[in-house]
Amino acid sequence: MASVAIRDVRKSFGAAAVIHGVDVTITDGEFVVLVGPSGCGKSTLLRMIAGLENITSGAISIGGRVVNDLPPKERDVAMVFQNYALYPHMTVAANMAFSMKLRGAPKDETEKRVNRAAEILGLLQLLERYPRQLSGGQRQRVAMGRAIVRDPQVFLFDEPLSNLDAKLRVQMRTEIKELHLKLKTTTVYVTHDQIEAMTMADKIVVMHDGLVEQIGAPLELYDRPRNLFVAGFIGSPAMNFLKGVVRANGKLEFERPDGSRLPLAAAPSGSDGRKAIYGVRPEHFVLAESGADAIIQVVEPTGSEIQVVAKLGAEEITAVFRERHQFKPGDKIRLMTDPRLVHLFDESSGQRLIA
Amino acid sequence: MKLSSLRSVTTEAKLLLIGIPLLIWTLLPIYHLFLFSISPKESAFSGKLWPDHPTLHNFAVVFKQEHYYLQHFWQQLWNSLLIAVATGALTLFIATGAAFAISRLKVMGGRMVMNLALFTYFIPAAFLAVPMYRTMGLYGLLNNQWALILAMVTIATPYSIWVLKQASDQLPVELDEAAVIDGASPMQLFRLVYIPLMAPSLVAIGTYALLLAWNEYLYAFLLLSKDTDVTLPVALGNFLAADDSPWELLMTTGLIYALPPAAIYYVFKRYMVSGLTAGAVKN
Repeated sequence: MASVAIRDVRKSFGAAAVIHGVDVTITDGEFVVLVGPSGCGKSTLLRMIAGLENITSGAISIGGRVVNDLPPKERDVAMVFQNYALYPHMTVAANMAFSMKLRGAPKDETEKRVNRAAEILGLLQLLERYPRQLSGGQRQRVAMGRAIVRDPQVFLFDEPLSNLDAKLRVQMRTEIKELHLKLKTTTVYVTHDQIEAMTMADKIVVMHDGLVEQIGAPLELYDRPRNLFVAGFIGSPAMNFLKGVVRANGKLEFERPDGSRLPLAAAPSGSDGRKAIYGVRPEHFVLAESGADAIIQVVEPTGSEIQVVAKLGAEEITAVFRERHQFKPGDKIRLMTDPRLVHLFDESSGQRLIA
Repeated sequence: MKLSSLRSVTTEAKLLLIGIPLLIWTLLPIYHLFLFSISPKESAFSGKLWPDHPTLHNFAVVFKQEHYYLQHFWQQLWNSLLIAVATGALTLFIATGAAFAISRLKVMGGRMVMNLALFTYFIPAAFLAVPMYRTMGLYGLLNNQWALILAMVTIATPYSIWVLKQASDQLPVELDEAAVIDGASPMQLFRLVYIPLMAPSLVAIGTYALLLAWNEYLYAFLLLSKDTDVTLPVALGNFLAADDSPWELLMTTGLIYALPPAAIYYVFKRYMVSGLTAGAVKN
């Protein structure tokens, strides 16, 4: 159990710089998720914490100790890999006991730890099986068991659920979260799936092209994204972005290219005439007589809600309704936004404009 | 008959037309060996497909060392075995270490070693026989069985390194990483993870090197001279020195000598193809 501090870490592979200065603080016992699209550097950052990649510059500390030059063995971390990385020639029990065997730990101590981990993960019946005889979910549990037996300071997960089918993924998500609540070990979890990030994290680090876009609690990122990238990445279906100009003379409104106006509650002073992006989450559209005209293109009912793709003027938006409306493609509806729930971003920099 | 089954019958007929003659062609020398070994001396060359009076007398002569040329049969068989096993073991030892170092530890100069290894096969082993003789002479190893062992290891190792390196590349890197995070030193990684996973390839290569030495004639002939030091193929070669070579004994000994390789191949047949082709195609 320990804190992890990442201070101005940079990474280059030869001449190619992939991480351009990342600062993240992880407190003891926290579950932190590094999330971002493919190639953003999250796996590389995780591997640098583990010691599988060198740190070009900057410092990573675990438990207050700078670990830049320490081999993985001495960092007291355990890693769960995307494709499990179980030793195929060893039984489940031997896989989980491997780290203790390498250390020359006494047999009864090893057995105790392996049984405890197997019990937590429901693997007691499978201890004598070989990895090839297990399903994907079982293999992933064995990989987690291997990490638990280590009893490390930090758990590192590298997209562990990517190879599982959708239903199993949802189940394992909960299991991992429960595991964390039980063991309370500091965890760094890498994924490209923002739903995993939202449901599991105490704190999310959104990464993009080797930089940190925003760090915060899940709902904080959801309600107050700092820039266009975070706003579009977090939340599914994604936030709608409408182009236009802020009008602040008299009534505060957002004017779209076709002349129609959408309500705004706040804007930085001197914004009149400023080019901006109006962000609306799909669930924040309401049907209202005073709203703007929209024509429905596609209706996607998921059972718990109805997703509608509609043309709001010239731009296409996605709206989500919990009530069962009888929509058909081609229907004309009127959509209204709540000015307190909308987001405003500068068009050129992408930065958030409303505090 | 349906068109598709007619076509498949025709295809099969064509393949059999090629396959059966090929099989007969391949088996004919072996049958010849067998035929001679069960024929008595007088009727060996009669040209019959099966001897009138098949006998096991030849085998008895060989096993009891009752002929002049077979005086040291058991000693020579033992020499063959010793040299073959030593070659296999030494080649495995060197090639496994080299493959691990080049593939997993990614040592500097790894690629150069691989290329040099291939390079050694540009020159046929037969051309190198005389230089090898001279080299062994310089080291004072002539007439010492180590000369043959080292020569065979030299010939077998480059190919072995290549095959083992290719097979190593097939092992997922994540296994190494998992082991390193679990706390394995390179030696522990080698012993506990690498070797068990490479087992099929190791069996295949070990067998390859062993049989290479078992079947070697030229180098054995050149580098060893004492009758009690030579391997069985060389002794068999001496059979042909006289005018009235006992062909039936020659064939009998040859048949006996061919049995261990056949047995080894049969026991390890599971590994032979998988071990040698591991890494040939990316999966």
